[in-house]
Amino acid sequence: MSEVIKTEPFVMNIGPQHPSTHGVFRVKVTVDGEKITDAEMIIGYLHRSMEKLAEERTYTQNIPFTDRTDYLSSMSNNLGYCLAVEKLGNLSVPPRGQAIRVIMAELQRLASHCMGAGAFANDTGAWQTPVMWFNRERERILDIFEMTSGARLTCNYMRIGGVAFELRTGFEDAVRQLLPRLRQTIADGQELLAENEIFIVRARDVAVVSPEMAIGASLTGPMLRGSGVAWDIRKADPYSGYEKYDFQIPIGYKGDAYDRFTVRLEEMRQSIKIVEQALDDLPGGPHSTEVPLAFRPPSGEAYARIESPRGELGYYLVSDGGPSPFRFHIRPPSLINLSVFKEMTVGGSIADAIVALGSVDIVVGEIDR
Amino acid sequence: MGTRWWTATEVAESAMKLVPDSVSRVEESACYVVPDKLVEVMSSLRDDASTNFVHLSNLCAADYWNRFEVVYHVQSLEKNCIATVKVEIVDRESPVLPSVTSVWHGAWLQECEAYDLYGIRFEGHPNLSRILLWEGYPGWPLRKDFLAMPGGLQPGLNEFAGTAPKPEPPVHTVE
Repeated sequence: MSEVIKTEPFVMNIGPQHPSTHGVFRVKVTVDGEKITDAEMIIGYLHRSMEKLAEERTYTQNIPFTDRTDYLSSMSNNLGYCLAVEKLGNLSVPPRGQAIRVIMAELQRLASHCMGAGAFANDTGAWQTPVMWFNRERERILDIFEMTSGARLTCNYMRIGGVAFELRTGFEDAVRQLLPRLRQTIADGQELLAENEIFIVRARDVAVVSPEMAIGASLTGPMLRGSGVAWDIRKADPYSGYEKYDFQIPIGYKGDAYDRFTVRLEEMRQSIKIVEQALDDLPGGPHSTEVPLAFRPPSGEAYARIESPRGELGYYLVSDGGPSPFRFHIRPPSLINLSVFKEMTVGGSIADAIVALGSVDIVVGEIDR
Repeated sequence: MGTRWWTATEVAESAMKLVPDSVSRVEESACYVVPDKLVEVMSSLRDDASTNFVHLSNLCAADYWNRFEVVYHVQSLEKNCIATVKVEIVDRESPVLPSVTSVWHGAWLQECEAYDLYGIRFEGHPNLSRILLWEGYPGWPLRKDFLAMPGGLQPGLNEFAGTAPKPEPPVHTVE
């Protein structure tokens, strides 16, 4: 057939202003008919030079910047940064502060995966309805964040040495009322999306990443686990008391877009388990240690990483003994997970490229920083 | 329990055993590898069964006024350990380093970022280009001598008393 009908290679832009690119992200694809022969991603539309700005501000003043990198999981970003500063300054966090951090980070993972799963359903053609189901529950989690920190998206809740405020009265009841609803939503998502024939046809065997490729390309998070590599920093390198909680690492076996989606759904179930355990034995005592506002860690460097909803989120800090970091580097999981974007898309159709991008679950604020 | 961090001495010993004369110096924070032998060292650290650093966790550059450092955090998923390897670049005018994209595909975008913000050219990179800024942007923004603010102000918290002494930066103007 291809010998009869000849087509010219055609260059087409997807984005930067397109609903399926999840932000200002642009892909220049070369297509031969419907088949993609080359894909080049163009980023940088949201670059705010946070790493440079952070060198001019104190360690505490940098916490709001980390909110604005991955704006769908600000609590996780706060946590990663605070852990890096605490490692640099040899600070410890009281047990209650650690437990509150774990609760917040896991609620944030639930909120972020709600968005990721809903938006992915959108990309596969389940237009808007699943997004609304998932967003309904995400809004309730954001209500809890608002109740605790005063903000919904950019929470700015963690501090060096603990968290900013004590939990409000009624926090525990609000979370305990929310968790069964979330379980129901995940079950609905499992039943109506993951077991739906159209969805399976759309996502199975699309954008396959082999385990070897995933490790070589430094993939982390659901991308790596979807390929069947059981690597989770909460298990491998526990921080903030994760070793006390009982949970499992879900993995996929084919490494395609469908596996990444189901890994996210299962991770949400595990997160609910962790939140319940943390609420059950929430220790008393102070929520934070006293740290001076213009905190000066000793000269040195530290690299601390956490398992953010998107993967390994690392902060590399260098201190020269002053009140501001000498070097502030973020290891962005979204950017590095896109290393295999070309390999995932070339050979497929444009519609599959949209599914591939949706399965990575990018946040452009983190890619560009 | 937890990931084991290799000390700089351990990394240096392994690197010297795999590739002779590849370590230039060892400090508390990391072991410094000779730039010419970087790719050889990295690929043997990845392939050797005793090290098995198959996953490049983080790659970034840092500017220390008189030199650049490129930092590699490499980890082994099976053995659950992580090591820090550094390379030093003294030439500030045209910093060049061999690319490790042949060892880890994941270095691709991170090397592009280091080139974009520090101007370090990674030789052997398949498509080294600016990714966050546009081609033709004047200067390399994360270098310490890049004028971040109007009026010739230097980055840093100079108004805070007790700031660690910094060497006098060379004055650069940006066209």
